[in-house]
Amino acid sequence: MNQRRPQGRNVVTQSLAQIGGCGLFLLTLLAAIPRSFRYLRETIRQLWFVGAMSLTIIMVCGLFVGMVLMLQLYHVLSIFGGTSASGMVVALSVYRELGPVVTALLFAGRAGTSITAEIGLMRATDQIDAMEMMAVDPIAYVATPRFLAGVIAMPLLCCVFCAMAIFGGHLVGVTWLGIDNGTFWSNMTAVVDVHTDIVNGVLFKSLAFGAVVTLIAVYQGFTTPPTSEGVAYATTRTVVASSIAILALDFVLTAFLM
Amino acid sequence: MTDPVRATPDDSTLVRVRGLTTVLGGKTIFDQLALDIPRGRITAIMGPSGTGKTTLLKHITGQMRPDAGEILVHGQNVPGMSREALYKMREGIGYLFQNSALLTDFDVFENVAFPLRQHTALPEVLIRSLVLMKLQAVGLRGAARLMPHELSGGMARRVALARAIVFDPQLILYDEPFVGLDPVALNQVLKLIRTLNQTLGITSVLVAHELAAVQQIADHVFLIANGKVVAQGDPKSIAADGSPWTRQFFGGEADGPVPFQYPAGDYASELGFVGAVK
Amino acid sequence: MSQPRSSYAIGTGLFIVLGFAALAYLATQTSSVANVHQGASYIIDTHFANIGQLKERAPVKIAGVRVGQVRSITLEPGQEVADVKLAIEKSYDRIPLDSVATIYTSGLLGDQYVGIQYGSSKKVVAPGGTLALTKPAQQLEEMLGKFFGAGGVADNLGGTYAVTANFTNIGALTVGAPVKMAGVPIGSVQSVVADPVKLDAKVTLAIDKRYNQIPDDSAAAIFTSGLIGTQYVAIQPGGSPTALKNGDEMILTQSAMQLEDLIGKFLVNGSPSDKKDAGNGKPSASPAGKQ
Repeated sequence: MNQRRPQGRNVVTQSLAQIGGCGLFLLTLLAAIPRSFRYLRETIRQLWFVGAMSLTIIMVCGLFVGMVLMLQLYHVLSIFGGTSASGMVVALSVYRELGPVVTALLFAGRAGTSITAEIGLMRATDQIDAMEMMAVDPIAYVATPRFLAGVIAMPLLCCVFCAMAIFGGHLVGVTWLGIDNGTFWSNMTAVVDVHTDIVNGVLFKSLAFGAVVTLIAVYQGFTTPPTSEGVAYATTRTVVASSIAILALDFVLTAFLM
Repeated sequence: MTDPVRATPDDSTLVRVRGLTTVLGGKTIFDQLALDIPRGRITAIMGPSGTGKTTLLKHITGQMRPDAGEILVHGQNVPGMSREALYKMREGIGYLFQNSALLTDFDVFENVAFPLRQHTALPEVLIRSLVLMKLQAVGLRGAARLMPHELSGGMARRVALARAIVFDPQLILYDEPFVGLDPVALNQVLKLIRTLNQTLGITSVLVAHELAAVQQIADHVFLIANGKVVAQGDPKSIAADGSPWTRQFFGGEADGPVPFQYPAGDYASELGFVGAVK
Repeated sequence: MSQPRSSYAIGTGLFIVLGFAALAYLATQTSSVANVHQGASYIIDTHFANIGQLKERAPVKIAGVRVGQVRSITLEPGQEVADVKLAIEKSYDRIPLDSVATIYTSGLLGDQYVGIQYGSSKKVVAPGGTLALTKPAQQLEEMLGKFFGAGGVADNLGGTYAVTANFTNIGALTVGAPVKMAGVPIGSVQSVVADPVKLDAKVTLAIDKRYNQIPDDSAAAIFTSGLIGTQYVAIQPGGSPTALKNGDEMILTQSAMQLEDLIGKFLVNGSPSDKKDAGNGKPSASPAGKQ
C-alpha cells in the first residue's frame, strides 16, 4: 500500500511511463464522454468548482499583470517617446502569451491541485470503489465531468483575465500616467486582430492548456497510491507536470499558430 | 420485494466459486479456491489478515478479475462479463465498505439517494420517500441533512448500509462491518444485518474477524487460509472442528499454522553471525 | 436538496455569461472590430493631402483637449487626397466653418492626431459637413530631408496594374513593401531587379486598379516609416493630364535616404562621408527636390 514509485527506474523511463499513461487515460476519458452526458449536472457542478471559484484569483491576477505590464512598458517606451504604443503592446503580449500562460499556471495551482487531491482522497476513502459498486462508472462520473469543466472553463477564465489585464493597463496608462484614451484604444484596435490574437491566441491556446492541465490533474488523482503521502506527492506532481506541459505546449502552439 | 428462493427454487446457491486462482504481486492469494454461498442465508468468511477476504468480495463484484477460475452469480460467470453486464449485475448487489465510503460532497440524504438518481428517473417525491424509508430502517432518518464528516463511525456505516439496500438487492457484501465500532454501534449493525436478512431475505456475505459477533448471526462460516477453504460449517461446529487452523484462529493462539514470523531469511546470517563464523 | 444544486447552476451560469462577456469585450472593443464604435458624436468630413501615420480612432483635439476621434480614413479612387471623417463629441458643436484641421505628431516617434484651430467665421460646421481647410501631416522626412512615413501593408484588392521606376539606390526596400499615395497604401512592390544596362535598380510597382488616375509625371520616392521602420515607395502626384498605364515607367524617382548620411548632415551640416555606403544616398543638399 505504502509503496513509492519503483526506485529502480530512472527519471526518463518514469516520465515516459507517465506521459504514456496520461495519453492512454485521455483516450479512456474521451471514450467516456458519451456516457458522461447523463451526468451533465455533475459537469455543471464541476464547472462551478473549477471555473467560477477560480474567478477571483484570475481577476485579481489579471488586473495586476496588466497594471505592472503597463508600468514597465511606459518607462521603457518613454525613452523612445513611444508611450502611445504601450496599450497596444500590453494587449498583444497579454493576448498572445501572458493571458493563456498565466491563466493556465494559476488554473493548475488553483483547480488542478484541488482536482488531484479530491480524486486522490476519494480513492483513499473508497469512494471511487463505492461508485463502481453502485454501478456508476467513475471515469464517466468523476473524471470526464472535471475534464470537460476544465476545457470549458479555461478559455472563459482566460478571456476574463485578458479583459482585466486590459482594464489594469488602461487604469495605469490612461488614468495615472496620462496616455490619451483614444491613442490607447486606437493603437490597440489598429493592431489586434480577431483571428490571430483572440481566436488563436486567447481561445485556442487556453483551450489546449485547459485540456492538458485537467488531464494531468485527473490522471494524477486516479493513479496516486491511496495514502496521504501518495496524495501529497500527486498534488505536487500535478503542479510540476502542468507547468512544464503548459510552457512546452505554449512554444509548440506559438510556433504553429503565429 | 425480491424472493430469491422462489426465483430459482431448485438452486439454493447464489454465488458459486470454482477453481479460483489469483496471484497478486507474485504472491498467490487464492489457489483453486472453491466455495458456495447459499441463498437467503448469512455467510461469514473468516481468516487471518492478508488471506484475501476482501479480494474475494471484489472478485464476486467483478472489481478485480482472477487469473483463473469462475465465479457464478445467478449462474452467470462474473469474470467473463462485459462492462454493461457487470454494471447491470452490480445494481442487484449491495456492498458495504470497511470505511463506509460515503461521498463526502453530499449529505446523508443525497448519499442514500445517489444510486436512485443515477439509475432511475423517479420523481423527487418518490425518491424522497424511498430514501426516508431506508434511513428509517437504519434509524437515521433524523440525520438526513448531516454531512458525512459530522457522523460517527457507526452512524456512517449505517448510512452506507441504507445506501447499499436502497435498490433492494438480493445480495449484500459486508466488508469488515464491525471494525472500529463500540459495542453499542456493533450491536446496532449486527441487529440490522440480521433484520435485513430475515425480513427481506437478502443473502448476506460478511467478512469479519469478530468471532463472537459472527457466531451470533452467521448461518455458515468459511475459514480461508493459504488460498484455500480450510474449514467450513455452522459457527458452532466449526469452532469445535479441532483442525490446527480452527484451533489457532478461534482459540486465538499467537503461533500455529499461521506463523508468528513473517517469512524471512536465516536470522543468524542476517545479523552477520555466519560471516563471523567463517 | 435542490437548493444547493440550483445555486451551483446559477453561479455556473453567471460564470459562463461573464466569460462570454469578457470574450465579447475583447473581440469587439480591443480588436480591429472596434473601429465601428459609436458615441454621442457627429461627423465632420476633412480631406488631407497626406495623413502620415494617422490611424482610425486617433484623437481629435482642440487647443490640446480631446474632443473626438478619427472615425474613418479612406482614399477615394481617382483622388489624391485622403478622406478623413472625424467624430466630434456633441457638446463641441460650435466649430467655425473656416477652422483648420491639421495632423500633428506627438513627439518624434509618437502617434499622430488631428488638431483643429478655430477660425473666425460666424458659421459653424453642421453635422456631416466638410472642414475645407486642412494641413497635411508634417512629413518629418520632408522637413529635415525627407524621412518619415506610415506603417501598414497594402492589399491588392480587385487587381493591379504594374508600373516601373528606376532608382539609383533602393536602400532596404523589399518585395511586398507598400506603395503609398498621400500616406494611404495603394499597392505593393512586385519585384526589385538590378538593371544590367543602366546599372541601377528597376522596381516594379503593383498598384490597385482603382487608382488609375495617377498622372504620368508623378514622382516615386523611397521613404522610411519612422526612424527604424521598414521602407516603402511613396508616389507624389504630378500635374500631367494623362494617367499612368500598365507597363509605364515613372521617370521621376527619388532614391532611399541613408539615415547615417541624413542625420550626419542634419546635425553637423556636412559631416565627413566616411561610411562605406556614403554617397549612395541622395544628397541632402536638395532635401525636397526631385531627381
